[in-house]
Amino acid sequence: MSIQQLLNGVSLGSVYALIAVGFALVFNILKFSNFAHGGVMTLTAYIGLAASLFFSRWLSGLPLFGATLVSAALAGAIVGIVLERMAFRRIRNNNSPVIYYFISSITMGILMENIVTIFASSTFYSYPKFFELSVVELFHVNIALTDLLMLVFSSTALMILLWVLYRTKIGLAIRALSFDVNTANLMGMDSNRVVMATFIAAGILGGVAGVFLGINYTLYPQLGQLIVKGFIASVIGGLGSITGAMIGAVLLGVLEVTLISAVGAGIAPVFVFIIMLTFLLVRPRGIAGVIVQEKA
Amino acid sequence: MEYIITILTFTGITLIGVLGSYMVTGLTGLFSFGQAAFFSVGAYTAAVLVKDFATPFPLAVVAAMSAGLVAGMIVGYPTVRLRRDYISLVTFGFGEAIIALLNNSTNLTGGAMGLSGIPRYTSFWVVWLSVAVCLTIVAGYKYSKYGRQCLALRSDELAAKAMGINVNRVKLVTFLFAAAMTSYAGVLYAFYTTYVEPGSFGWIVSAEWIIIVFVGGINSLTGSVFATFLLTGLPEMLRFASEWRIAIYCVIVLLIINFRPVGIFGEFELSYKWLRQLGKKGAKAA
Amino acid sequence: MKFNNKHLVLAMVALFVVSLALVGCGGGSGGGGGAAKPAEMLVIGSIQDMSGTTSVFGNAVTRGAEVAIEKLNAKGGINGKKIKLVTLDTKGDPKEAINAYNRLVDQEKAIAVLGPPISNIGLAIAPIANSKKVPVVGSFIDPRVTVGQDGKPQTAMFLMQPSSVQYAEIMAGYAVEKLGLKKIAIFYNQSNAYSVSLIKPFKEYAESLGAKIVIEEKYTKDDKDYKTQLAKIKESGADVLYAPNYTQELVILFKQRKQAGVNIPIVDGLDLAAPFAQNINDPEAADNAFFANNFSEKEPQLVEVRNAYKAKYNNEEPINKAYLGYDKIMLIAEAAKKMNSTKPEDLIKGLEQIKDMQGATGVITLSPKTHQPVGLSMVIFKMEKGKYIEVGRYVPEKHKKL
Repeated sequence: MSIQQLLNGVSLGSVYALIAVGFALVFNILKFSNFAHGGVMTLTAYIGLAASLFFSRWLSGLPLFGATLVSAALAGAIVGIVLERMAFRRIRNNNSPVIYYFISSITMGILMENIVTIFASSTFYSYPKFFELSVVELFHVNIALTDLLMLVFSSTALMILLWVLYRTKIGLAIRALSFDVNTANLMGMDSNRVVMATFIAAGILGGVAGVFLGINYTLYPQLGQLIVKGFIASVIGGLGSITGAMIGAVLLGVLEVTLISAVGAGIAPVFVFIIMLTFLLVRPRGIAGVIVQEKA
Repeated sequence: MEYIITILTFTGITLIGVLGSYMVTGLTGLFSFGQAAFFSVGAYTAAVLVKDFATPFPLAVVAAMSAGLVAGMIVGYPTVRLRRDYISLVTFGFGEAIIALLNNSTNLTGGAMGLSGIPRYTSFWVVWLSVAVCLTIVAGYKYSKYGRQCLALRSDELAAKAMGINVNRVKLVTFLFAAAMTSYAGVLYAFYTTYVEPGSFGWIVSAEWIIIVFVGGINSLTGSVFATFLLTGLPEMLRFASEWRIAIYCVIVLLIINFRPVGIFGEFELSYKWLRQLGKKGAKAA
Repeated sequence: MKFNNKHLVLAMVALFVVSLALVGCGGGSGGGGGAAKPAEMLVIGSIQDMSGTTSVFGNAVTRGAEVAIEKLNAKGGINGKKIKLVTLDTKGDPKEAINAYNRLVDQEKAIAVLGPPISNIGLAIAPIANSKKVPVVGSFIDPRVTVGQDGKPQTAMFLMQPSSVQYAEIMAGYAVEKLGLKKIAIFYNQSNAYSVSLIKPFKEYAESLGAKIVIEEKYTKDDKDYKTQLAKIKESGADVLYAPNYTQELVILFKQRKQAGVNIPIVDGLDLAAPFAQNINDPEAADNAFFANNFSEKEPQLVEVRNAYKAKYNNEEPINKAYLGYDKIMLIAEAAKKMNSTKPEDLIKGLEQIKDMQGATGVITLSPKTHQPVGLSMVIFKMEKGKYIEVGRYVPEKHKKL
């Protein structure tokens, strides 16, 4: 495999990582696959579009990009709050099994996708041009600028998240909650607030991911269905480990690119399945199983 | 009238698929994202056999169910040993792999363009007769030794093991049962629509079946049956709402999951005894 | 948790019975408006994907059809009766489409049905449509929809744009005959019936003209990164890329073509029509491509429709599927006028006799033998630095002989 291929894989992986980080955050705390995150990405991507059209009266280029990103992130935070209140608060108070979160989240995801479809599916949309679609050439290999930016953003987001999780009080609370909700409650923690904080953070990540996906792949109501890649990455990477999800995402990207060049894209899902199955049988803890343990 | 009959027929076919999900997810607590893939295995196997190889229909049905069993074995054997969290991933990957296979074997399946011109052997009566049979089997299974073992291991796998239940075997048997039944539903579908395409068997369909099981009540077979009627009929009833209908559908599901987490029916099962009591009460009230 | 099962169950059963009754008697309540229908209004049904993956197409067709209906009604409707469009959603699912078709015919008493621009749906409803004999006018480019396996036309199914065979031959002919490019690379979405249906006829015609398919690369619906395939295409030494896919995937392809440094021209279908270049938002990426469209945007009949559309829908630029929706209604109206009847069976006969009708997308003549249009030429456009240049109508050699 050439270096160019490897790099293509990593850059695809960085797209997946951006999706997976927000997904894994909720996975980490509430232990369920938050498919509504796909809906969040779609919704915020369209809100970002509206914002970019609004701001384009005064701004252009990178400042416009910044304004769009911030608006989408803010919208993501709000969507996160609404999502938590509407879809998950009551389920948590009922102490329902994890599977109810899943049902709720997938229904929410479909709902958000449909709301976008209702309001924005009579034509195609795309973001204004923020920066050149240029290619950076390093040692005879090409990297697209947007891919590079995504890698930077997802790693930055991961760093910030890790810092928040391991160096701040709210992070400590989140980790405590993810370990044992009841005990955390007994210790006088307001679990509602902590969970809310988690959803806000996930919403912000979703907003950022939405804008990037929109720039790279144009806007369409089913944009959020890319969440399945985040799902695969999170599970391969190790359940509930954010770092693991990130590694899983990059590995998934490299694996897909390798398979596409080796066997073709058409049949690649079959090989992904076989590899996944073998991997899980050999190593049921996921990739991060060890990484997390080493850290602890 | 054909409109209503068609809807009821599709509801019946969906119901058999939901019964499969009920066994795997409701009864045993395995989260399968790949049930719809078994549906497509059944549909395509029978359709190709009848269309290209002029196999008699009953033989094709048997072949389709066997294909479902084989596929179920391939996925089920390794997955029942895995942690529960991974089962959803593996079954999901299986579903995608099946779609990829269907898209790739263009000569046999027509690929993405689908397989058309399948003879129409299924009718309303065939479907609902099959539903009755499947329902009896599943109800019987629920109250059999196996069904109770399923419930036990769903609540607490460790405890179930300690009681001497062969957890993996019970899971696998249930999984295979459901796979064969879902493949059969696929056959009914293919020979009713006369056209199948890989796109209509994605993981979303599996998720919809699971949603139906939960809306009806995870502990209630009656609930699954009723919720199938409700949730497949709902989009049809909401046709007047035009583009809003799927959104309204989602809101209703959310309301049920949030405000009635045990599902509409909770643990309730429709039985002769209950009907008799109801009759007595009604007589008293009158 | 304690609750009163029996009451709840009874309530649910009651609700269910009521709703079933609603479905049964819900005739006339379908469609968007829900306004009371005057007794003498004709219903034209429409089954479109309004909430699934191809909802952009479904919306565009519906809106174009509404524009046509408004125009017809302003002139007194069809044969003196006003018409109303009832659109039902399919989610892109064959099962839903069958339900929708049955409902339109049984409940809404539709005289004709507009089909979606998706062949899979056409294949699914063809058997029922044939038995119910209510015509479906659609843009199902897969020829199997309109011509059955026995070679006879499907009674009630009509196509109003070139079929995938005609279409692919136009593009293959243009690439090989006109541009003289003989080393062809193909790149398409393997899980999309539209893409797949345009591959085989293209290959056959291109090879008959002496060209060679040097590489054939695929992707599936969840793939959004084509750089690996593009790298292979670059290595293959092809001098033209044929990529019949949906618009939004093509936007990605064009951007990544630039990033991967593949500088060969792309030959493609009408999915590249405006506002495609604006969606790419980069004149350097929206470059070096040829495509065949059903129509030229300068033609006066089209400008008229476009202005009506923009006036009705908030100044939004229509995509090409909207014009197809417009023409579908016009075809049905023309058939009704020809037969002086609005009975579905007569409309089928009328549609078979359509000859030289000036539609928005061209002059349409339907063949009674295939239920497909004959002699539809296409307009070739060139995309250069984000701008469209009209090259003119083009008919491949093979079609001239017909």
